[in-house]
Amino acid sequence: MRHPLALGALLLGLAVVPQTGAAQSAPYEGKTITIVVGFKAGGGYDRTARILARHLPKYLAGKPNVIVQNMPGANSITAANHVYAVAKPDGLTIGTFNRNLVLAQLTNVPGVKYDMTKFAWIGSAASETTVLAIRSDLPFKSFDELRKSGKPLVIGATGPGANTYDFPLLLKEFLGVNFKIVSGYSSSADIMLAIERKEVDARAGSYTSLRPFIDRNLVHPVIRARAVEAGIEQLPVDENLAPNARAKAIMALRSAPEVIGRPYVMTPGTPDALLKLVREAFAAALKDPELVAEATKAKMELEYTSGEDTLKILTEVLSQPKDVVDEFSKYIKFGE
Amino acid sequence: MIDALFEGLLLVLQWKAFAFMLLGVGVGFWVGLLPGLGGVTTLALMLPFIYAMTPIEGFAFLLGMHSVVATTGDITSVLFGIPGEGTTAATILDGHAMAKKGEAGRALGAALASSLVGALVGAFALAVAIPIVRPLVLSFGSPELFMVAIVGIAFIASLSAEGGRGMLRGFLAGGLGLMVATVGQDPQAGIARFTFDSLYLWNGLDLVPVLIGIFAIPELIDLALRGTSIAGDVPKGQLNKGALEGVKDTFRHFGLTLRCSLIGTFIGIMPGLGGAVAQWLAYGHAAQSARTAEERAGFGKGDVRGVLGPGAANNSKEGGALIPTVAFGVPGSSSMAILLGGFFLLGLVPGPDMLTTHLAVTFSMVWTIVLANIITVVACFLFLNHLAKLTVVRGSLLIPVILVLVFVGSYTANNDYGDVLLMLFFGVVGYLMVAGGWPRAPFVLGLVLGKIVENNLYISVARYEAEWLTRPIVLVLAALAVAVMFYPLLQARRSAARGG
Repeated sequence: MRHPLALGALLLGLAVVPQTGAAQSAPYEGKTITIVVGFKAGGGYDRTARILARHLPKYLAGKPNVIVQNMPGANSITAANHVYAVAKPDGLTIGTFNRNLVLAQLTNVPGVKYDMTKFAWIGSAASETTVLAIRSDLPFKSFDELRKSGKPLVIGATGPGANTYDFPLLLKEFLGVNFKIVSGYSSSADIMLAIERKEVDARAGSYTSLRPFIDRNLVHPVIRARAVEAGIEQLPVDENLAPNARAKAIMALRSAPEVIGRPYVMTPGTPDALLKLVREAFAAALKDPELVAEATKAKMELEYTSGEDTLKILTEVLSQPKDVVDEFSKYIKFGE
Repeated sequence: MIDALFEGLLLVLQWKAFAFMLLGVGVGFWVGLLPGLGGVTTLALMLPFIYAMTPIEGFAFLLGMHSVVATTGDITSVLFGIPGEGTTAATILDGHAMAKKGEAGRALGAALASSLVGALVGAFALAVAIPIVRPLVLSFGSPELFMVAIVGIAFIASLSAEGGRGMLRGFLAGGLGLMVATVGQDPQAGIARFTFDSLYLWNGLDLVPVLIGIFAIPELIDLALRGTSIAGDVPKGQLNKGALEGVKDTFRHFGLTLRCSLIGTFIGIMPGLGGAVAQWLAYGHAAQSARTAEERAGFGKGDVRGVLGPGAANNSKEGGALIPTVAFGVPGSSSMAILLGGFFLLGLVPGPDMLTTHLAVTFSMVWTIVLANIITVVACFLFLNHLAKLTVVRGSLLIPVILVLVFVGSYTANNDYGDVLLMLFFGVVGYLMVAGGWPRAPFVLGLVLGKIVENNLYISVARYEAEWLTRPIVLVLAALAVAVMFYPLLQARRSAARGG
């Protein structure tokens, strides 16, 4: 390589090649993608993120490393603020957080710095249905029987902002069931134990988490929210029983985020090309047979919702008229 | 049942299961030593590795790891005064004080030997409790849990200095702890308390940075000011005796070790009380065992009983915590909640079946706890006296290392810089308390019991109104709380009468 031009041509070639061929086909080669989880290690959000972190690289050209970083705090507002404003829009940060964060934005919770609709939405990895499950030794077979009996039922709950509290609260307020909601249990597992010792009669919670107890006939579900899962399609839906449009709107607002049970986003301003790659990989990974087998084993039901559909739901939630939002805030506080 | 007991042992002793257990023990060993990186987080991180394992191997790995974390956590607490785990902070009070007196070896020996006794008692309790576990757990509802917490608060009386002034300070410190526990969104109305519009404070204060601050920072300042080694005032060559002496101490006070093991087991069985509570109750009980005023005053200044109590309790609670997890599918602690995820991964459904069809699997868990602890304690004894030598290393060499541990430890709990600030803030609080002669133990007791007291009282009243006050177990526990509270007074009077 004595000819200076040859050297120049080679250097030029080196400089050009990464920008054309390699960069466009595998921009993630040798990179590390971080999934920021808004909760501590071990919970449902975290376990979903970790299972995705193992299978996502298969579907991204260049097989980047995907790692999980836990950023708990303020019911994951902290993590959302971070992904929204602090992380660079370089396609290397993915965020997953509390599905109810849109309600925090809707009700103007102080500290919210994000706008849900401006995130680069990847989609959702699961939908979580809330059901109310009552003790199987009680004489009520269905929600209708329960409501007609007028008998008071003690509901165990963790606290406002959690579905264990908010779901039965709206049933009580709008459907005229005689509930006494007792909150302060430290986890939904503790409520289960309170059900075992008959301290409480029922609890609301995600169908997934109640499944083991339904399977061994400790409790049985009587009513569900809008999002649907296999096995509980026939249950009555809370908003279909609503006595008026206002009540229906409030119930719908509470359950809207449940369809986006495990939201995944990237920083606003992430290049469209990168977002497209991650969106495709996300959709493909959730259908990966190995991932599905692992999730089934772990009793997690994953279900893909596209970024576009997610955005549609969020926009609908955020475009509610002010009077509905005000009424909604009277009952529902953002939390957990 | 006996068959299942032996079948369980044989299952663990299969070479693959045993190898996985050793691997788990190795990981748990380091996790315990390092402050901040807790057993809970590590369990969550290790969970994906069990996909390919059989149930026995999976549990040998996870439980092997989990059951030694509290054991080696005590080592960091004793040597440096930093809680190696959130659940080993109580060991600092007397353990680190002993290290400063040149008795690090003895303190470590006592901590490890009592840990082993605790683990064995806990495992034994798990085995024995299997037939009666359902009625036992079910008889403790929210009112009973509230009263257990009240008994815990009554222990402040024995954790405070004697006399009216000492008691007043003890209860004020306890009250401060209760108040600090209320920081964050309350679970009844969703109101943010003491959060000063800060997102960081919304979910309440994490225990680990608070404990690291309140215990480690005053020790660091003290070490820096003295300008010597940790065991600075001890003549050279006096150090290496200890480890065996500590083991002997465990048997000298065997009754106490056993009682504290039972306290730990009981707290473990009760879901919702949490691991941090067990060792503080045990410490309170250990302090009660002092017979004279001088002995009382010696607690916190290096009484070996203050090491034995928490050492035993924080290991025995693990066997206890497995009980509700296995029998109801309801985890007794946050680490058990993650272990529950492990059950599902391994294709087991926790619940009554675990006590009948899968009894051998349940017993294999008992054996894993037993074997993992024996292995760890024996391994630790091999280099215990070398570890103790760290206390004669010059302070100026040690302080940077400890500082790194303190900062990393408080950061890794949540990966939040706010936690580092929190640690520093409570470092100042801790230093002021030590300087002003205020006891730190009641403060921590209030802190760990605060939420339990508040929530269970609310639930009791909301569910039963005033009726809960007449429940038999509540009455028994109320009597116990009164006894615990007035025991120190009685003791003082008795020793005064004897002295006069």
